[in-house]
Amino acid sequence: MATKGSNSIHRSSSRPLLDLSKAEIQGNVEEKYPTILLPNQSDDLSHLALDIGGSLIKLVYFSRHEGQSTNDKRMKILKDKLGILNGNRRSYPILGGRLHFVKFETNKINECLEFIYSKKLHCGGWESHHSDSTNDQNAVIKATGGGAYKFADLFKERLGISLDKEDEMDCLVAGANFLLKAIRHEAYTHMEGQKEFIQIDPNDLFPYLLVNIGSGVSMIKVDGDGKFERVSGTNVGGGTYWGLGRLLTNCSSFDELLELSQKGDNRTTDMLVGDIYGTDYPKIGLSASTIASSFGKATLENKELEEYRPEDISLSLLRMISYNIGQISYLNALRFGLKRIFFGGFFIRGHAYTMDAISFAVHFWSKGTAQAMFLRHEGFLGALGAFMSYEKHGLDDLMVHQFVERFPMGAPYTGGKIHGPPLRNLNEKISWMEKFLQKGTEITAPVPMTPPGTTGLGGFEVPLSKGSTLRSDASALNVGVLHLIPTLEVFPLLVDPKMYEPNTVDLSDHSELEYWLTILSEHLPDLVDKAVASEGGTDDSKRRGDAFARAFSAHLARLMEEPAAYGKLGLANLLEMREECLREFQFVDAYRSIKQRENEASLAVLHDLLMELDSLDEETRLLTLIEGVLAANIFDWGSRACVDLYHKGTIIEIYRMSRNKMQRPWRVDDFDAFKERMLGSGDKKPLPHRRALLFVDNSGADIVLGMLPLARELLRRGTEVVLVGNSLPALNDVTAMELPDIVAEAAKHCDILRRAAESGGLLVDAMTNTLDGSKEKLPSVPLMVVENGCGSPCIDFRQVSSELAAAAKDADLIILEGMGRSLHTNLYAQFKCDALKLAMVKNQRLAEKLVQGNIYDCVCKYEPAY
Amino acid sequence: MDPRRAETGKNSDQIQSGHVYHLALDIGGSLAKLVYFTKNDEHIVGSEKKKSPMKASGISNSSRNSPVLNGRLNFKKFETSKINDCLEFINSMKLHLGAISFQMIAMVMNAGCQQPESPGSQTITIKATGGGAYKYADLFKEKFRISLDKEDEMDCLVAGANFLLETIHQEAFTYMGNQKQFVWIDKNDLYPYLLVNIGSGVGMIKVEGDGKFERVSGTSIGGGTFWGLGKLLTKCKSFDELLDLSYRGNNRAVDMLVGDIYGGMDYSKIGLSSTTIASSFGRAISENKERDDYKPEDIARSLLRMISNNIGQISYLTALRFGLKRIFFGGFFIRRHPFTMDTLSVAVNFWSKGEAKAMFLQHEGFLGAVGAFMSSDKHGLKELLANQKVERPPSKLSFSLDQTQVPQQDGELNGDESIECSVYGA
Repeated sequence: MATKGSNSIHRSSSRPLLDLSKAEIQGNVEEKYPTILLPNQSDDLSHLALDIGGSLIKLVYFSRHEGQSTNDKRMKILKDKLGILNGNRRSYPILGGRLHFVKFETNKINECLEFIYSKKLHCGGWESHHSDSTNDQNAVIKATGGGAYKFADLFKERLGISLDKEDEMDCLVAGANFLLKAIRHEAYTHMEGQKEFIQIDPNDLFPYLLVNIGSGVSMIKVDGDGKFERVSGTNVGGGTYWGLGRLLTNCSSFDELLELSQKGDNRTTDMLVGDIYGTDYPKIGLSASTIASSFGKATLENKELEEYRPEDISLSLLRMISYNIGQISYLNALRFGLKRIFFGGFFIRGHAYTMDAISFAVHFWSKGTAQAMFLRHEGFLGALGAFMSYEKHGLDDLMVHQFVERFPMGAPYTGGKIHGPPLRNLNEKISWMEKFLQKGTEITAPVPMTPPGTTGLGGFEVPLSKGSTLRSDASALNVGVLHLIPTLEVFPLLVDPKMYEPNTVDLSDHSELEYWLTILSEHLPDLVDKAVASEGGTDDSKRRGDAFARAFSAHLARLMEEPAAYGKLGLANLLEMREECLREFQFVDAYRSIKQRENEASLAVLHDLLMELDSLDEETRLLTLIEGVLAANIFDWGSRACVDLYHKGTIIEIYRMSRNKMQRPWRVDDFDAFKERMLGSGDKKPLPHRRALLFVDNSGADIVLGMLPLARELLRRGTEVVLVGNSLPALNDVTAMELPDIVAEAAKHCDILRRAAESGGLLVDAMTNTLDGSKEKLPSVPLMVVENGCGSPCIDFRQVSSELAAAAKDADLIILEGMGRSLHTNLYAQFKCDALKLAMVKNQRLAEKLVQGNIYDCVCKYEPAY
Repeated sequence: MDPRRAETGKNSDQIQSGHVYHLALDIGGSLAKLVYFTKNDEHIVGSEKKKSPMKASGISNSSRNSPVLNGRLNFKKFETSKINDCLEFINSMKLHLGAISFQMIAMVMNAGCQQPESPGSQTITIKATGGGAYKYADLFKEKFRISLDKEDEMDCLVAGANFLLETIHQEAFTYMGNQKQFVWIDKNDLYPYLLVNIGSGVGMIKVEGDGKFERVSGTSIGGGTFWGLGKLLTKCKSFDELLDLSYRGNNRAVDMLVGDIYGGMDYSKIGLSSTTIASSFGRAISENKERDDYKPEDIARSLLRMISNNIGQISYLTALRFGLKRIFFGGFFIRRHPFTMDTLSVAVNFWSKGEAKAMFLQHEGFLGAVGAFMSSDKHGLKELLANQKVERPPSKLSFSLDQTQVPQQDGELNGDESIECSVYGA
């Protein structure tokens, strides 16, 4: 059978093959069975790389995604059917995984060693089921940084791994290139405390200046991958700050010194232009507050060192060094005609004031023509570069759209500052979360449960013992776990993928952020109840529910404090974070039972509805169908207002009531234009669409009474229909996995749907039943189902599943339904094909903001192909 | 003119070598610089200056009919924090009176001049520049009824540098590895150049001609930083003491060198030798060492190298940016201190890969004061120069260094220096 054949091809290509390049016989060739070393055997190689610096050890490691769970099998069959039907669907190797970032203090190198040991990173990688001792012996780990030499013996002795030293600068550049090309919004500017994330076109990245501020400063002109030159530098760097700072203050750590600077006033130590002139010196454009001479004021006074505040000294030093670096960097960028300057290195460490000072200097000296940029993963450049130096990691050609960054509990606080005990499994994570204390919006992190000196998740400060709060350094950005999903693609129907921004609501507006954080906060107890109930309310589920609530509250608190903590933040990201957090605590589908119940209730009345529709003339029917979609869209558990409605009536009552209330014109009403495209005007009968992609929203009435009848109408007109569902559950949204069952049920009531579903391979069992009679009937256009590649109530068209991308190639109509996909995101998205965006606005604030209307207003936005 | 004051002025001749005719001030953040003109007494010229190539005779042939004053330009500096010493000095030397007497003599000597007003109750005006010209204006007014006529600092700097570079033979020199080498600069090929004035802070000025210049860059890490940080880190009581210390120190104790990072090896891949400083003060982070455990000499040395190196680098990059082939370093920070000059030269040499050379001025430190002095055109110095240029080769100019009074040996210049010159009473 064709299905099987294709399946097996698919499987074989998905399995990693042995890479035989650079194979050599290891040991004595005279031996009868010498061991053959396959250095490029990606499966055996531990994907761990280290950057061991003077103060911090940075670790980057790659873990494979756990295999598809077995209950996906059914989905797989359907997918394969679709694959045949679509014809052009590519088979893809599933080599996805996750890139993790962890830090340790170098002087606590034992913690690092034990972390590696406990995660078995030294032998064959993450959760390897086949780590045998021979692998242990031969493990070679890429490492960079001065410590790669210093600690080589220690690693050999303790873990039996050899460190393969990579050149520091090679690594830096490789790391920066990778991040800037593969990670969306990796770069940001920082002016006067404001972060702004910047998307850089990977094709227009080079050349740039990379300024690495370690003890000293290196300035590297980067022209491409592996093409770079150290063009300048300065000996006045982080070491100067810390060295002079130590001599001048009693600080015992670099961070303490930095901390001091935040409370400093450099006017007591620096000679300002105003000190000299008593006023501005406008002739040369210097304001009175410009520093004329760093520490110059100390020359005018007969004060002892002890009479100066260490805070002031620290600030003065910081400004002196940051300004100087900014100036020299700008001059070098200018000299080599480089338009972008990226700053990295341990001196910056996400410290807001340092970044501000450098940005100020670049701005000042360039008279506003240049901007300093920083990298979210700045501390990990070297480690990432070392990681990239493995010859077979398969990450070379990865693109922005194949990475999704997630912030599981634990990761944000290890990538950031807070860290806890080793979290080897969910149970430990929950135990850890249970130690969290919440006071108002503040979440207090727990004291580590394990005695010090065992294992730790790393981090470079130990604020835990002081009982500090989660916020730690307010300016610190969290570095999440990068999920590598090679199958993700850019949706091919976007008019301009580079300019595309999914989020309609920009959360950089503080009041907007506060509003949505409050909404999510308020919704939380209800969600926890649903989640716990979905798992039968067991003690275990209650415990997980509690941990989820704490974890998600911690995220919200963190975001309230530092909106940029997780990178560029849009409403879609926020909503997705909630779903991810649920999944993190193994709530697979919090709305499972609700969805089932509503689907059943809606399917029960579908037949009546279809009869009613069929009695209408074509024009009235089209309007009624659109009204139906809008009316059915009211069933949305994501909306507080609708949750309240539920207590007041049954599904069909609400549906009918709400459809009857539909009064045209709607708030946004392009129905007439859509109708003309569908039915034409006068004698002109337009050609039906070839293929329509229907992005469905909620389960229950929404899909059954709203979208399915619309799909049926399109099928009837000879348009192929692809129902696009979520890959993973989000709220009560219908998933791609659930759709075939719903369609199969619906098909029982309707011949059109049945034949289309058969043709689309959705009715596996029914297929044989109808084989005998199939010749009598006209072959129908197919009704298909694809997954969208995400698990969020919104959709980001830069990252969709490859099957959706494949299905899109023949599509000439897109219908986006629901708030998440057509309002929160994509309201302004432009497509190369006709697009219809349908939603009922179930949030007063959003209604006012987006459509200048009120809650329950409707949006019917039709845009012909751009 | 008040005869009594003139008398006292005469008495002070014991401590000065001539009659004071003119005075200009440059009051910076750290130092106050004085330039004043004294008229040579005949016998002094006779006894001390027999071989001196100056003279009035050289000028008497010129087309000008104005009388000529033979004398010298004197240079003196004070720490700004001891501005009272400066005031004392002016008072004791009656310099402020000299200022008026110059004007008056000039006027008297000019045919058809009017009778000067009686200066008895009149406020005397003298040229001044530098930030302190604003800051201490009241003090001068109170103490001596001197009103400071403020000249723009940068105008003065540039005017001073242009004047010195155009007229003084052997004004510019390079300094590398203890080798001082004078550079003859063709006056016609002087511009454009970069003037780096290292005072408390550092100003970098692109000079394209007389009065044609622009401050294009600068840095706050300058002389004030050296002295300020030095003062906090060592027990030094004066800038010069700190400089002295630095001469004896070894920066390896506090600086992190390339060799420290790469295990004594050069990082040849990027062309850094093992003795290159990777991070100034980068070794001063040892946990068990306190400030007192480091030798002040070493700290001073490291500071000096850090600051000189940085200034050299930014200067070179700035010169490169504007396509300027010459960089002149001036300002009090240098003080003809060999080590300072050497580091600056090394830095420029290093960053330019040998393509550019740092040059210094004999009268660094007095550029502003000379410029302020020049700004009053009464003495006609510039015109004199213009004439001289036509008539004589540069070596025979009337202006020459008074070798006997210029200490050459070390940086210990206490500001006593003079240039022999002739000035028209315009």
